[in-house]
Amino acid sequence: MIEAKDIRAGYGDGADILTGISLSADRREIVTILGPNGCGKSTLLKTIAGYVRPRAGSITFGGTDVTAVPIHEKVRHHKVGYVPQTDNVFGTLTVAENILLGARQLAKAEKEKRFAALMDQYPALAGKKNRKASALSGGERQILSLARALIAGPEILLLDEPSAGLSPLMMHEVFDAIGAIRDSEGMCILMVEQNAFEALGIADRAYVLSLGQVAMTAKASDLLEDPAMRKLYLGGEVHAE
Amino acid sequence: MFDFFIHVASIACLYGVLALSLNLQAGFTGLVNFGLIALFGCGTYGAALASGMGWHPLLGLPAGIAMAALLGLFYARLGRKLSSDYWGIATLSIAEIIRISVTNEQALTGGAQGISGLPLLFAGLKPYDGVARLALYAAVLALVWLFCQRLVKSAFGLSMKLMREEPQLARSLGYDLDRIRRVVMLVSAAIAAFAGFLYAHYLTFVGPDQLVSPETFLIWSMVIIGGIANNRGVIAGAFLMQFAMAYVPFVKDALDLPTDFVAAARLIIVGGGLLAFLLWRPKGLFPEKVGGSNGR
Repeated sequence: MIEAKDIRAGYGDGADILTGISLSADRREIVTILGPNGCGKSTLLKTIAGYVRPRAGSITFGGTDVTAVPIHEKVRHHKVGYVPQTDNVFGTLTVAENILLGARQLAKAEKEKRFAALMDQYPALAGKKNRKASALSGGERQILSLARALIAGPEILLLDEPSAGLSPLMMHEVFDAIGAIRDSEGMCILMVEQNAFEALGIADRAYVLSLGQVAMTAKASDLLEDPAMRKLYLGGEVHAE
Repeated sequence: MFDFFIHVASIACLYGVLALSLNLQAGFTGLVNFGLIALFGCGTYGAALASGMGWHPLLGLPAGIAMAALLGLFYARLGRKLSSDYWGIATLSIAEIIRISVTNEQALTGGAQGISGLPLLFAGLKPYDGVARLALYAAVLALVWLFCQRLVKSAFGLSMKLMREEPQLARSLGYDLDRIRRVVMLVSAAIAAFAGFLYAHYLTFVGPDQLVSPETFLIWSMVIIGGIANNRGVIAGAFLMQFAMAYVPFVKDALDLPTDFVAAARLIIVGGGLLAFLLWRPKGLFPEKVGGSNGR
């Protein structure tokens, strides 16, 4: 579904942050990108999403070359949903209005049907659908931005640190919601995360980045058990539940 | 005194149109344009060009709008490369370059002397010509206000506000920010040029002194004081500022102050008003009504 080959990318005239990364992700799969701060995780996701244009390499979605396609066109024409790490809701709009922004291209009946389905799926949002998004907690905002990305029915979902700034309880809720999306919608989900153990708990595969390159790729379950990996990249002594 | 009131109200109407133009850019879309006066100047020099070429005066309007549209597109193009603050500086620089070019060019613009002798609208209706012009300017202001209200309440208006609030998030929802910027600059440039065309035929004179950057900041003060992103507010700001500036000479006479006081007091009203409102009432006299995709 997503195929990135030999990606080199950076910002402006600066040095390359990604120095030849290749990655793939399939349908019904959660692939997480891990690594220490500054290794290029978010830059890789932004490059795949279309915020950053790669200096070299290629990106395909379902076999279609999207290397130079900007984010707004990917969302409109390539069934991509993107959930940013921060500033992910419009605070002056209500919860319902925020969600419906993601459904601009749908017919009215379809829009209403999908909105109702999302309200069933996320009852916490349903109870606050007429409230301003600025009144939501961090976790609720993250669920809201997920719901907004889902309403258009994307085939690819790109998540930039969905647990950033959340309490452990809210983090569990958000990860449960992401796992449920993979299982029920059959989507291809690519997720950058700092909370490595939580991410590996729901992911199928993982790429571990170091200094702009892929240092290791493996099944999530294998990485969870790998003591060297744990020590090098995942926080040493921390144990998964 | 009545004629003076009609005169000030006429100018306030035209500045109200300009304030609405800036409000579309800065208020609703977050485009901090410090070069608005150059778009206005396209309208004034469009009128002068038609007059100088012996065309029908009305042809000055499309000429001015066409020049403003080109300049607006150029501004928008710059916005692809520059972040908001740098874009603002770039627009100010371009407006100054245009003013200096107009001052030093003789054949087309008349240089520093400008171009005079433009036809005055409704000149044949004396002694009611002033009232007739005010009625026209008020009607234009009302129509432009209605258009701006409809625009900002439309789906496109929502996209303008999303771009202003969270541009990166708006992109991730499929909004093409370059297109939004282009359309807003085209529409607001046309509005500013329209105001310029009417202004030129009101003063019957066009010159580079009308394009100085303090004029842009006067319009900014109208928007900030009236209420940024509130169309009614910016019109109120235009009238308030215009009348405040117009009555400064009366204060000077009443207090027996030197003539220099007038120019200085006007600058203080603009600068001090801007500063005071930015510090103590940044949303202006009539704050934006936020919330809801339609009524904001």
